[in-house]
Amino acid sequence: MKSLRKLSAILIVLALAVGPALPSPAAACVGKTLLVGALDTPQQQVLANLLAILIGERTGTTVKVVPAASHAAAHEALLKADLDMYVEYTGIGQVQILKAPPIADQAALYKAVKERYNQELNLVWLEPFGFTDPKLAPGGTVAEAAPVVRKDTLKKFPALARLINKLGGAIDAATMQKLEGAAGSGSARDVARKFLKDKRLI
Amino acid sequence: MRFALLAILILVVIGCVAAKPPLELADTVIADRQVWAGEVRIRGVVTVKKDGHLTILPGTRVVFAPFDRDGDGIGDGELLVEGGLVARGTAAAPIVFTSGAARPKAADWKYLYLDFAREGELAHVISEYAYSGVQIHFCRATVTDSEFRFNVDGLRFSTVNLLAAGNRVHHNVHGVRFEERRSQAYLHHNDIRDNDIGLFVVTRSDDAARIERNNIAGNRQYNVKMGLEQAKDVTLPRNWWGSTEPALIEQSFFDRRSDPSLGLVSAPEPLAGPVDPARWQAQ
Repeated sequence: MKSLRKLSAILIVLALAVGPALPSPAAACVGKTLLVGALDTPQQQVLANLLAILIGERTGTTVKVVPAASHAAAHEALLKADLDMYVEYTGIGQVQILKAPPIADQAALYKAVKERYNQELNLVWLEPFGFTDPKLAPGGTVAEAAPVVRKDTLKKFPALARLINKLGGAIDAATMQKLEGAAGSGSARDVARKFLKDKRLI
Repeated sequence: MRFALLAILILVVIGCVAAKPPLELADTVIADRQVWAGEVRIRGVVTVKKDGHLTILPGTRVVFAPFDRDGDGIGDGELLVEGGLVARGTAAAPIVFTSGAARPKAADWKYLYLDFAREGELAHVISEYAYSGVQIHFCRATVTDSEFRFNVDGLRFSTVNLLAAGNRVHHNVHGVRFEERRSQAYLHHNDIRDNDIGLFVVTRSDDAARIERNNIAGNRQYNVKMGLEQAKDVTLPRNWWGSTEPALIEQSFFDRRSDPSLGLVSAPEPLAGPVDPARWQAQ
């Protein structure tokens, strides 16, 4: 009985000593820098900065916005882990990236790209922001904007999807237009920060 | 004649001291007892191993060359302490950890990092232009009368037995950033102001850290911010918040009032005026 107590005490001491030392992403001393891709348009710059600031300020993770030359280039960078995420449009994803036939129905299109990206590419479409941009819709499709994130990034940062999804449905077409206008005459980063602050997201 | 000889002697001594070249270090392991004085220039990672011990004398300047091996935008110079570190400066001759860049900025170097250190004492230290002015994990340490400025994180810790008192923490992104994780931290008489965020409670706080009788005021975004996964409440009694008006104090917190998934920050018995960090030993 006495030796059992002694053993229990040793185990408790060991658990206390070793438990906190177990590696955890949250305990990372500096951690991985997350990279958000953005094309050189006001819309892409605002959306990328929304993601970067939201993630950076709510988690303390360092997040950088890096330029992408095109949708195809951003997609390739994502596949190679040169990016962790960028904002894509469902129509471009379906027709230009997946080389699949256009789908006119907005919900069906989102479901189709989400499934194939997940299964074939290990990329995850998170919740759409809440607007479509007809200028970015290949013929016969809808251009719903949403963040596309590497699956292994979401595994490393388990709270990330829940955080990013706070932007889901938060930006309608009129709001996006205003944000783009403001970014056209100022800093996309400042515009994004003000939006997040006004929404009390940071 | 005597005066002339004395003058020559003084000049020779000054000349010898002034001529002493700085200690230049690249990636270096310290496994014995070493003492630093004068100027130490680091371009790499200096590691004080478990059996090593480093004493840094008052007035020493530790200058990190800004270099970025992995291209992540964060400098890779660091002083990692797994053994012992005693950096005891004086008010007149503080020990300075800084960037060697012509135009220094936050994250030019990575950090002064105490990880499972056997001994950690910082007094009258200035740490600037780092990612973290100091990070302390899994050890016992004291940080007193020091200044952390122009960093991403001023003072950062988790799972520690830490006393931090009489420090001035300003112009960082996060003044004090911590994951409590069963820490026994006691922070008092620190002046935490003019940071973007004064106190960043990242996660895993069980409200056990004692953070009281500090000035946590005038931080640009929030005096206290809860991290995304900090769902438990945090109590910060008897601090100076720049006001005694509860509504104004609460406005400077980012907590459950902004996001229902977060814990609540409470600030009972707010002080009526600032504390004097220089008088922490008298308390």
